Amino acid sequence: MRNIAILALTGWQENLRRRFYLLSLAFAGVFLYLSLILGVLAVEQENRVLLDFGLGFIELMGLAGALYGATTIVLREMETKTVYLVLTRPVGRGEYILGRFLGLMLSVLASMALMSAFHLCILWAKGWRGPEPYAAAFLGAYLKVLVTAALTTFLAIFSSSALTAGVISGVAWTLGHFLPEIRYLITHGASRVSIVPLFALSYIVPDLQLFNLRDRLAATSPLAASEAGLAWWVGYAVLYTAVWLALAWGLLRRKEF
Amino acid sequence: MKALALEFRSVTKTYSRSHLGRTTLSRGIVDLGWEVPEGESCGLLGLNGSGKTTTFKLALGLLRPTSGEVRILGRSPADAVALAEVGFLPELPYFYPFLTPREALRFYGRLSGLHEDALADRIARTLDLVGLSEHGSRRMGEFSKGMVQRVGLAQAVLHDPRLIVLDEPVSGLDPLAIKEFRELLGELRGRGKTLVVSSHSISELEKVCDRVGILKEGRLVRSIAHQEWEAASEGLEGLFVETVR
Repeated sequence: MRNIAILALTGWQENLRRRFYLLSLAFAGVFLYLSLILGVLAVEQENRVLLDFGLGFIELMGLAGALYGATTIVLREMETKTVYLVLTRPVGRGEYILGRFLGLMLSVLASMALMSAFHLCILWAKGWRGPEPYAAAFLGAYLKVLVTAALTTFLAIFSSSALTAGVISGVAWTLGHFLPEIRYLITHGASRVSIVPLFALSYIVPDLQLFNLRDRLAATSPLAASEAGLAWWVGYAVLYTAVWLALAWGLLRRKEF
Repeated sequence: MKALALEFRSVTKTYSRSHLGRTTLSRGIVDLGWEVPEGESCGLLGLNGSGKTTTFKLALGLLRPTSGEVRILGRSPADAVALAEVGFLPELPYFYPFLTPREALRFYGRLSGLHEDALADRIARTLDLVGLSEHGSRRMGEFSKGMVQRVGLAQAVLHDPRLIVLDEPVSGLDPLAIKEFRELLGELRGRGKTLVVSSHSISELEKVCDRVGILKEGRLVRSIAHQEWEAASEGLEGLFVETVR
């Protein structure tokens, strides 16, 4: 556990100093500015547009940072031999992959939290005082980024290619929003040829609709952000993340440098 | 009889690469039998591609042997207890550019099992040892190659390991830096550390090592003691050239 914490904190420290995260904040600032413009154009739905647009871009920026980090965690360290200085110490490969992943996700969380703070300031200035569960929506966005990053980490080690891992992860993230439709196709009308790959996809691709709490922000049902619902979403995210990280560890154990 | 710091027992490493259904095998090292007693300073010499780096990676668990067995301080290279007693400087080390030497040494020291109460003092002494006390708080992205190499040596010795493995430690350094490095290695020898060094610089190995093994096409073809090359008319260089030709 100690090694995991050391790797995570150092990874977070390193990422916070990288210009990428500063650029992502600047970029997010630009898009939040754009959301202000769109909010004005939306006239009577200004706050709703600000809310949705802002949360959407925060999620996308978080995803971009996570994919970039996850594709380069191990690959860059292998190329530069930085990994030699870690793995020739009493550090298990499982500790290494988990520590680096946690450091990355801490950085992404910090980055998304900063953007959200800025977003909330804009909403507050626009008079938004709604009861909508903003925190739950933010959590949902972060959990989507988390599960996608875990899949990306595995793909990066499997393929040894940051580009391949990034592209496949982008496709998985997209398909993850259409999992209900994929499940519908499996049960209604999929051909025999396509049913097996669709079935496999329904398990491999994360169910990102589960975390799409922005759709539930307008819901009046208290179950939308109930404790039971939150526990289920977090549990699913943790389990999904754990499975892909375990597979990544399995690959790394056999990897030679 | 001294305990062995490093032992290779009939170790062979074959690299296998698959491409478009075809598998290509290439040899790394072949049937290597090599022992390094504790407290000795041993060099490894060979032409490019002779297997020096492969040997070091096998010793440290970065590669697994195709056959044979490697023991480091009497244990498997995967054993955490053994790795805690080993320091490694790879060829052309790379450090996270946004960290300072102090931060990097703190990171590596903690991973080596050093605790906070001893760490600050150990870092200060190690930076002093490698001549980087004044630069301890500068980001390593600003460092010259020689300075990075010093940080590399610092992280290898910070936790006071019993065995120090150095792969091309003076590669790319200027003559003054090479001299200072040699003096550092001499100091480590004086402390009873076991050194295993690979280098293309024969003169450096002559000055630092008690014994030198010569690799040729993955095989250890000769092991030469200090007294032998001292007695030879052309020194270690002459014996090396005679062996590899």
